[in-house]
Amino acid sequence: MRYWLRRQMPGFLPPEGRWRHLGEPYHGDEVVVLDCETSVFDKRKGELLSVAAVVVKGQEILLSQALDLTVNSNAKTDENAVRVHYLRREDRSAGVSAAEAVEKVLDFVGNRPICGFYIEYDRAILNRYIKRLYNFKLPNRFIEVSEIYVSQKRRYIPEVQLDLTFEGLAKDLQVPVIERHTAIGDVISTALMYIKLTQFER
Amino acid sequence: MSIQIDLNQPPFSFLSEPQRQWLTQKLDLVFFQAGQVILDQGQVSPGLYIVYKGVVEESDGNGQVFSQYGREDIFDVRAVLESACKHRYTACEETLCYLLPSKDFIQLLNDSDDFSVYFKTDLGTQASLVEQRDSGGSVSEFILARIDDSSMRSPVYVNGQTNLARVAQMMHEQKYDAVLVRTAKGVGIVTGTDLLKATLMADKTKQSKVAEIAQYDLITVEYGEFLFSALLKMTQYHIERVVVTLDGDIVGLLELMDMLSLFSTHSHVIAMRIEQSRTLDELVVAAQRLDTLIRSLAGQGVKVEAIMELITTLNRRLLQRAYDIIFPQRLRDRVCIVVLGSEGRGEQILKTDQDNAIIFQHEHEREAVMPLLNQLHQALLDFGYPPCPGGVMFINDSWINTAEGWQAKVGRWLGSGAPEAMMNMAIFMDGEPICGDKQLFQRVKSRWQQEELRSSMTSAWFAKPALQFETPLTFLGKIREDDGKIDIKKGGIFPLVHGVRALAFEHAINDTSTLKRLDALIERSILDEEVGQGLKDALLLFIRIRLKQQLQLHSDQPGLSQQLDLAMLRSVDRSLLRHALHRVKKFKQLLVNHYHLENF
Repeated sequence: MRYWLRRQMPGFLPPEGRWRHLGEPYHGDEVVVLDCETSVFDKRKGELLSVAAVVVKGQEILLSQALDLTVNSNAKTDENAVRVHYLRREDRSAGVSAAEAVEKVLDFVGNRPICGFYIEYDRAILNRYIKRLYNFKLPNRFIEVSEIYVSQKRRYIPEVQLDLTFEGLAKDLQVPVIERHTAIGDVISTALMYIKLTQFER
Repeated sequence: MSIQIDLNQPPFSFLSEPQRQWLTQKLDLVFFQAGQVILDQGQVSPGLYIVYKGVVEESDGNGQVFSQYGREDIFDVRAVLESACKHRYTACEETLCYLLPSKDFIQLLNDSDDFSVYFKTDLGTQASLVEQRDSGGSVSEFILARIDDSSMRSPVYVNGQTNLARVAQMMHEQKYDAVLVRTAKGVGIVTGTDLLKATLMADKTKQSKVAEIAQYDLITVEYGEFLFSALLKMTQYHIERVVVTLDGDIVGLLELMDMLSLFSTHSHVIAMRIEQSRTLDELVVAAQRLDTLIRSLAGQGVKVEAIMELITTLNRRLLQRAYDIIFPQRLRDRVCIVVLGSEGRGEQILKTDQDNAIIFQHEHEREAVMPLLNQLHQALLDFGYPPCPGGVMFINDSWINTAEGWQAKVGRWLGSGAPEAMMNMAIFMDGEPICGDKQLFQRVKSRWQQEELRSSMTSAWFAKPALQFETPLTFLGKIREDDGKIDIKKGGIFPLVHGVRALAFEHAINDTSTLKRLDALIERSILDEEVGQGLKDALLLFIRIRLKQQLQLHSDQPGLSQQLDLAMLRSVDRSLLRHALHRVKKFKQLLVNHYHLENF
């Protein structure tokens, strides 16, 4: 395993010590749906402003145990981004530090698969922080909701024109969009899409 | 995190703000696909489901549907409270439910009395809890208030032999404006104004006995009556205080000034206007205010029963006042004007159409009275009561007759058994004499209360129309909506009112209001207490929900609308409505069995 990882991602070690369990294979039936909001939409520069995650077990979204964190970041927010996520600097001052947020996310996620909409972005953001703090990258399995969507659609109608925006997916899957662009709202909608795509007979 | 359902409505509004906050942190979200069984018979429920999106159907295993649940509806309370589920719950379409785990729900029940009362009591209590919560103002409490120790003053008595100077002294010292006088003739009353008039305007002196000037025809109200009925009496007799009696004994005085400080100015002003009107134009002004009054009372959350009572009183005074203005003294006691239908039962709130009839003492009065009747009819139109489409009005020949003529007509109606005749009888049977010689109506009424006209066959014919409209539940047992609407009159009110009327007819019950008829039926053990009470609750619920929607309509005649838009109902009302419609359905079955209507 370690050998394989080293080959896959040269220069990085799998998680050690406190985070060792993240690297262990997962056998349960739960996934964690996750979403981050950042100061600018940029993998390398975007600073973490809020992060939300929720466990999905079968058809159930365990809202009562949801993770919903606001990060006390001083990052200057792009005016357009504020208009998207509505997190002003003032709203963030009550939040936790980025390091604390990342620690909580790792505790919450464990070795479960992580699912999201355009999850590559969230993965990159989190990995940037984790690498700096603990010197590893998330070893978890990642599930891209839009990918499942595309493969399901293509299976039936290969040449169909797909609207791969978040709203487009929600509309086509008839899933309610809850508080768009708050991390937790996006997480719930994404979780609904995931349940619908994986659990419901199509 | 915010929750996508409104927790500010019952039953959650019974919780405190911190309790609601706590609740939102306990909710999970579950997604069901169409056709999926959410809970099955005998299954232990993980908690209380609150529908956020979609439709859930409750059925037994064999496909009989009991109920449907939509947005913000809750199920299955029983499965949580009683440990196992009695029915099957299926998602009709893709459905999203919040799930409140059982242990958290039970914790809330333990923490909040109102919340637990809501879930653990029957429909009637649920409805009244909802109504109570809806009402915000203190005015409503006053309208609902009855005459009790807090609203009246204890009486002060003087001996009939006391002289006027002494009485004046007493009134001044004790700050009373009226005292009761005990004499050999009985108890009388003397007010400050009486004293002034007697000494300054008549020939009485300071030494005259108070017994000489006391007034003995006391206007009384019974302890426990509604406060506004005392107010109506005061305006009716142009007096400022009434004597309160309890089982015939005087227990206090009720002063206009005391009441005015409490009373909603609206209804008082209207009542005064009606009483003091000298012309029809003045009455029209008063009549136009009625709708505003209803709006404000309903807005303040006054109970529909109380509004009904107040409006009925005002409507009847309005008609009576118009009658007094139009009819010359010499004709007033030769006829009797009867209001019919919902107005007769006292169940009209917003103005619907005119339903009325007239009884003459002698046929030869007809010629003199007809022009006056036309004037009265015009006055009612001006007041805002549209003409009756079916022509049930005292300006039409078929609703004009002498007492003898009416008796014969009633006999013919009941003898024919024809549906139309039976409906005429039904309309007439709800009559309440308002103007003129009320004895005339009594004579007619006693006719159909005689045994021989109420054969079981006739009663069955009479009862039958109660079944003519389908309960919007009978189809598979769920609320059946046509374009999201149901006709609440056909679906709920009419079958209930008519069924009760049929039983009242069969048993010669004298009351006209459906609620009072139900009381009488319970009292005579014709209906179970539980069934009767359930029907009363159901009727009041129908009327309340209908009124609420009628008031939201922007039409000239909102009173005529019988359509209920189900989407506009709060989920708690929808759930109460479902229960109430089930009661009506059961009642119809009871009528079928009782009258053997399956043979008709």
